[in-house]
Amino acid sequence: MSKRHLLALYGNFEEAEAVVQELRNATIKGFDVNDDMIVKSPIEHPEVERFLGDKPVYVQWFTLVGALLGGILGFSLISGAQANFYMQLKGGKPIVPFPPNFVLTYEMFILGGVFITILGFLICAGLPAKRSPLYSTKVSVDNIAILVEADESAISELKAIFTKHKALEIQEEAGK
Amino acid sequence: MSVSNLLENWAQVRHEHPNNDKPHDPYKWAMAIDLDACTGCNACSIACYAENNIPVVGKERFQHGQQMHWMRVERYWDEDGREFPDQGFQFLPMMCQQCEAAPCETVCPVAATNHTADGLNSQIYNRCIGSRYCSANCPFKVRYFNWYDYPTDEMVWPAEMQQQMNPDVSVRSKGVMEKCTFCVQRLSAAKVKAKGEGRIVAEGEVQTACQQACPTSAISFGNLVNPDSRVHKQWAAQQVELDKDKQAKNEEEEASELRGYRILEELRAYPSVMYLERVRESAV
Amino acid sequence: MKDIREDIAWAKINQDVMKSLENPRKLYWVILFLALAAFGFGVGCEIYQYRTGMGVENVNNPQVWGLYIATFIFWIGMSHSGTLLSAILHLMHADWRKPIYRFAEAMTTFSLMTAGLFVMVHIGRLWQFYYSLPYPNDRGIWPNFQSPLLWDAMAIFTYLSSSVLFLFVGMIPDLAIARDNMQPGWRQKLYTLLALGWEGTDRQWRNFRVTYLTIACFLIPLAVSVHSIVASDFAMSQQPGWHVTSFPPYFVAGALYSGCAAIITLFIILRYVFRFETYMTLPILKKIVRLTFAIAMVWTYLNAVEFAAVWYSHDEASKAVLIQKMTGTYAPFWWGMIFCGSVVPLVFAFKRFQTNIPVLFAVSLLLNLGMWLERWMIVAPTFSHGYYPWTWDHEQWPSLVAWGMVFASFGWFTLLFMIFCKVFPSVSMYEVKEMVYHRTLHLKKSENAEQGAH
Repeated sequence: MSKRHLLALYGNFEEAEAVVQELRNATIKGFDVNDDMIVKSPIEHPEVERFLGDKPVYVQWFTLVGALLGGILGFSLISGAQANFYMQLKGGKPIVPFPPNFVLTYEMFILGGVFITILGFLICAGLPAKRSPLYSTKVSVDNIAILVEADESAISELKAIFTKHKALEIQEEAGK
Repeated sequence: MSVSNLLENWAQVRHEHPNNDKPHDPYKWAMAIDLDACTGCNACSIACYAENNIPVVGKERFQHGQQMHWMRVERYWDEDGREFPDQGFQFLPMMCQQCEAAPCETVCPVAATNHTADGLNSQIYNRCIGSRYCSANCPFKVRYFNWYDYPTDEMVWPAEMQQQMNPDVSVRSKGVMEKCTFCVQRLSAAKVKAKGEGRIVAEGEVQTACQQACPTSAISFGNLVNPDSRVHKQWAAQQVELDKDKQAKNEEEEASELRGYRILEELRAYPSVMYLERVRESAV
Repeated sequence: MKDIREDIAWAKINQDVMKSLENPRKLYWVILFLALAAFGFGVGCEIYQYRTGMGVENVNNPQVWGLYIATFIFWIGMSHSGTLLSAILHLMHADWRKPIYRFAEAMTTFSLMTAGLFVMVHIGRLWQFYYSLPYPNDRGIWPNFQSPLLWDAMAIFTYLSSSVLFLFVGMIPDLAIARDNMQPGWRQKLYTLLALGWEGTDRQWRNFRVTYLTIACFLIPLAVSVHSIVASDFAMSQQPGWHVTSFPPYFVAGALYSGCAAIITLFIILRYVFRFETYMTLPILKKIVRLTFAIAMVWTYLNAVEFAAVWYSHDEASKAVLIQKMTGTYAPFWWGMIFCGSVVPLVFAFKRFQTNIPVLFAVSLLLNLGMWLERWMIVAPTFSHGYYPWTWDHEQWPSLVAWGMVFASFGWFTLLFMIFCKVFPSVSMYEVKEMVYHRTLHLKKSENAEQGAH
């Protein structure tokens, strides 16, 4: 069965929350509240995360791996390069001196951490992303949007819920 | 792979020089300068200019402090309120001290200055990018920077003078640091010759330009490892040890009568040049 | 006084900031033109220096470092406040950071780029610059990892790239706003590209929050390490006046200080040029001013600690350098530094000056003059009174070329900064909305509490 998208705009968060609660409680065939609903908001709302329930974030694991890799790579590459320094001996210092290498390792640790965190962010947040089928520029002003994807059959039911909660605007994907 | 190289030679890459290390073998070039014999005639400085193709920068540049004298003869006065201060005039020939733990080496970002196997502080002109950190960190300020392109833009050697330049020494262009090398071109030639004959360089076989030009033989130069060398004997007689930052003779209660000392020894640069203090009138 | 009015419509925030991208006051173009002229002058100086040799800086053989190194430290220092304050205030949930952090981070990025320029300008053989990069090569020659200059390069690279990423990540939601509101044209294409298809979905925001927080956490120790490493350029050397244990914290304090002063200057300029009076409000300015005052006092204290440590250490050489700074050739500049750095900020202690824009503008410039003098007074006097007596009778006065280059660096910085502020939103729209929203919630809560009490 073909799927269609539906987007509803709300002026404030209480309304949006009420909609999400209702969608949660209602059992609609062909619509899974966890997978098929996306909430778009103009600002970072801790509330949104609260009413959507716990969803895991994995970015910090990228950070851990990146920072450790950066540090280890930094230290071993630098010390390894220095070990070739027999002809570049510095009087008064060993060929592989630790204090400078720790400084550089520290920098590489942070560099790796930051870069891989960004990579993790892009992967976890799915960026760069194609624009979703329905989008309203009002989201970037002050509206909160709820985008749902559901089977043809469920659309009317969803629409009814949106209208009940006084959606400012409902956009519908043209049928295929 | 460099990391496996690192692990295999761990002990070797962790040793420190000159403390906790074997002395240089078979060569450790060193110098001793007798200030009592120095008359301040500047012949050493001139000889150095000639030997090492050092540009003569001219009056104006000299006034700006952009002179290049690898070997400079400094003048000091006694400030004891004597009637004729000139009587207390002293000279000190100063050049790169070829430190065993040179402060300039560690700070060079491109490793253009290093410690060589025969105990010199080398300077690689091709590698130098001119950050001038080495000079900033040199306690003796004996490094000289090429502020201008002396051989070409400044034409310090007109065509007729180019015949007299030393072919064994490269001419430095603008933007690189240079300094006394202990006449490394002579040292290498002597070493190569000796190697061909299956021996090491003997005492007296090689001289630095300044040593050669000194009319009073105030400068002695040689292989500190060789017990027969004059320099070794002088260092031993003055009880100056290369790898010490405090000489035992100065630790004793009674002041030592020996004249040998190294400049700014307490900075732990372990210079390879020992000076013999001038015998002062007041001390006689 | 509140930091921001809670009754600003969110649409108006968008409008106001978007307007800054298209329609600044005329002064903007005047500044841009002056900056371009100054930068052009510096390019001329550099061409001359590149062709002739470093001698045109008028430095000489014992005094091998001059204005360039001092100005390098100045710019590195200036870069500190932006990202560091932004990150610290973010961790502390200080909402007043929100309207000002974007331009502060841009300031970080561009002053780092200016500092990087001074490394290039300073080195004798610019054309061999790549020798200092650790690139694999046949000869197996590497740069010297022991050199504090190499740590510098590494730290600056890390700091610059992390700051740019921090700035960029924080800007993504705003780029999406710009994308949605811009007329079609090259700018809309640019915003579309950079916004990475951001739509503010819950998934994006969730990951965004963690990412932003993580990078902020990294940036704080990073920023501290960067200026500590710059301090190591001096502290790791053996020279009297440089070999000072307290240099790293001293440098970091000085960096924060000059950065905060620069934030005040730029705050005042941007507020006027882009008509940001509603967002860059006086109460926020007052907070920065108080912060600057506190840092100024920390800096003064660290200065005193350094002098006392030198004085009582009986390290004769260091003591001689200190005396030389106070009484020698450089005395006017040294006392100028003390005056601008420690006396002038006392103005900030008076409440009536804390929001007086002309006074603040003048004072912030004076503070940065003082901080620039501080860097020069770190670099130069040690050369003219080091360990070795031969250096003692040498004097150094920078040439016109050197001054021109310093002058031009301000042009280059202003140029980059002003172009940035016109191309990208220099006030964070989404975060100002958050700020307004938090304030509304706060008001509502206190209203409810009041009603409950009755």
